[in-house]
Amino acid sequence: MTFLRAHRTIATVIAFALVYVVIKVLNLVGIFNAYYIQLIMLAGINIVMTVSLGMVNGFTGQFSIGHAGFMAVGAYTSVMITTVWLHASVANPWVGYPVFIAAILAGGLLAAAAGYIVGAPSLRLKGDYLAIVTLSASELIRTVIRVSSFLGGPRGLGGIPKFTNLEVVFVFAIVSVVLMRNYLFSSHGRSMKAVRDSEIAAEATGINTTRQKVFVFVFSAFFAGISGGVFAHLLQFIHPDNFSFMKSLEYLIYLYVGGSASISGAMVGAAVFTVLPELLRSLQSWRMVIYPLILILVMIFRTEGIMGLKEFSFILIPQRQRKEVSA
Amino acid sequence: MALLDIQHLAQFFGGLRAVSDFNIQLERGEIVGLIGPNGAGKTTVFNVITGVYMPTKGTIVFDGQNIVGRKTYQITQAGIARTFQNIRLFSKSSVIDNVKIAYHFHMSYGNADAFLHTRKYWQGEQLVDDYAIDLLRLFHLDGHADDLSGSLPYGAQRRLEIARALATKPKLLILDEPAAGMNPAEADELMEMIHWLRDKFDLTILLIEHQMRVVMGVCERIKVMDFGETICEGVPEYIRNDPRVIEAYLGKGA
Repeated sequence: MTFLRAHRTIATVIAFALVYVVIKVLNLVGIFNAYYIQLIMLAGINIVMTVSLGMVNGFTGQFSIGHAGFMAVGAYTSVMITTVWLHASVANPWVGYPVFIAAILAGGLLAAAAGYIVGAPSLRLKGDYLAIVTLSASELIRTVIRVSSFLGGPRGLGGIPKFTNLEVVFVFAIVSVVLMRNYLFSSHGRSMKAVRDSEIAAEATGINTTRQKVFVFVFSAFFAGISGGVFAHLLQFIHPDNFSFMKSLEYLIYLYVGGSASISGAMVGAAVFTVLPELLRSLQSWRMVIYPLILILVMIFRTEGIMGLKEFSFILIPQRQRKEVSA
Repeated sequence: MALLDIQHLAQFFGGLRAVSDFNIQLERGEIVGLIGPNGAGKTTVFNVITGVYMPTKGTIVFDGQNIVGRKTYQITQAGIARTFQNIRLFSKSSVIDNVKIAYHFHMSYGNADAFLHTRKYWQGEQLVDDYAIDLLRLFHLDGHADDLSGSLPYGAQRRLEIARALATKPKLLILDEPAAGMNPAEADELMEMIHWLRDKFDLTILLIEHQMRVVMGVCERIKVMDFGETICEGVPEYIRNDPRVIEAYLGKGA
């Protein structure tokens, strides 16, 4: 145990590998059917979406409410590549997976470009402009998809090869969360929090706040785009209404219920609230009653979300011992 | 050559003349005070120097460069650091992170190093951690390094704000009412600290202060403002006895 405590990164990798093995075994034994596995994969995608949204809303103090729009950009881009343009070559898995990975990365990059177009003008301003702009941008993206017949229009796009499996989601979620967590625990991440706490003071300490905000917004959109690609290759059918404002709202709920200023909170929020409504399927029509009810209760009893400002120890960077402090 | 040279500075907000024809030259190593009744335009001068407002007229030359029209962060990077009248710490960050944030633009690693935690990242983090803890030690804040800055007592928050300003490695430090809310004993400590800061960090200091005891005790030169105009300038003894200053503070016939 002392070895694991000293090498927290190794311990974390082992822990996640164990979680994967347990799920896989439960699946093979037959306790977890395909439906549960699908749910776990959705939770993994939602974790990345929520953590990336938290980078903007929780840690940089901006208010983006159209995250599903960037997901749509990534989903449609990757599907166009794997399904519409290169459909013949993806039959062979040795060709298929590299194409899939290239496609979701392309989706991420295009979503990042969309993020730059949306963020660069609106993040120069202080205040709530970003909320209005992101809301309209995500609806704009959805409407453009709806009227573009080459993107399937209102009928959606089907026949998408199922590249997303449990392994893909695990690798994707862990790599994405680790990258974002690394960024957060860096000088740049500290600048993000400075912008959140006091933009005026951040400027006065030499931080180019506009550039910092735009950069965070762009990489957040990038991860949303990649999530969209993974999501599309899980469902095998995408429709513009998959990425409506309700979808963005779900991510906001995951984030704020879990704890917006905590990566762990975003993960807990996304995981719990992806699985919970599915477990309460019988109460389908009551879902939208229970959701706000939970939100209200959390806001009353845990204003900063379930996790508050706390992080799981595997999220934190091990602190080195400082020089002895003289009293 | 003066470190800071402001000529004919004016700042109007619509019809309101917040500051008109303000001139000041700060030599290296000086401690200069800016005083005046409420609404005299002192904080406006600070905000213009630090690029919060774009001046209506005038030039501001700092260290040989005209800084009018530059953004706040560019002015800070050029070497002017400030504290705020109402403390503005990064309250949800730890005490040491407040100092590290101010060192950010000196950091050598980029976005890619931040994502991947490369060797360059670890070297940079070690460097900034040492730098920040050394700076905190000078201000007797090292014992609270990992506490949230918002949880510090008031006096410690004031000290942290100064430590944070110094972490940007400024040439000119401007303090907006550093003694606000301090009792006489704390104010005495502050006066000592301001002199010590100037010598230790090789600074030039410009400060706004309402506690006359502090201003008279610490400043080598004082400039008095009223209704946006400079009404008097000189050494503390001269200011103390100037009838215009007494009138501005106490009113006519006092």
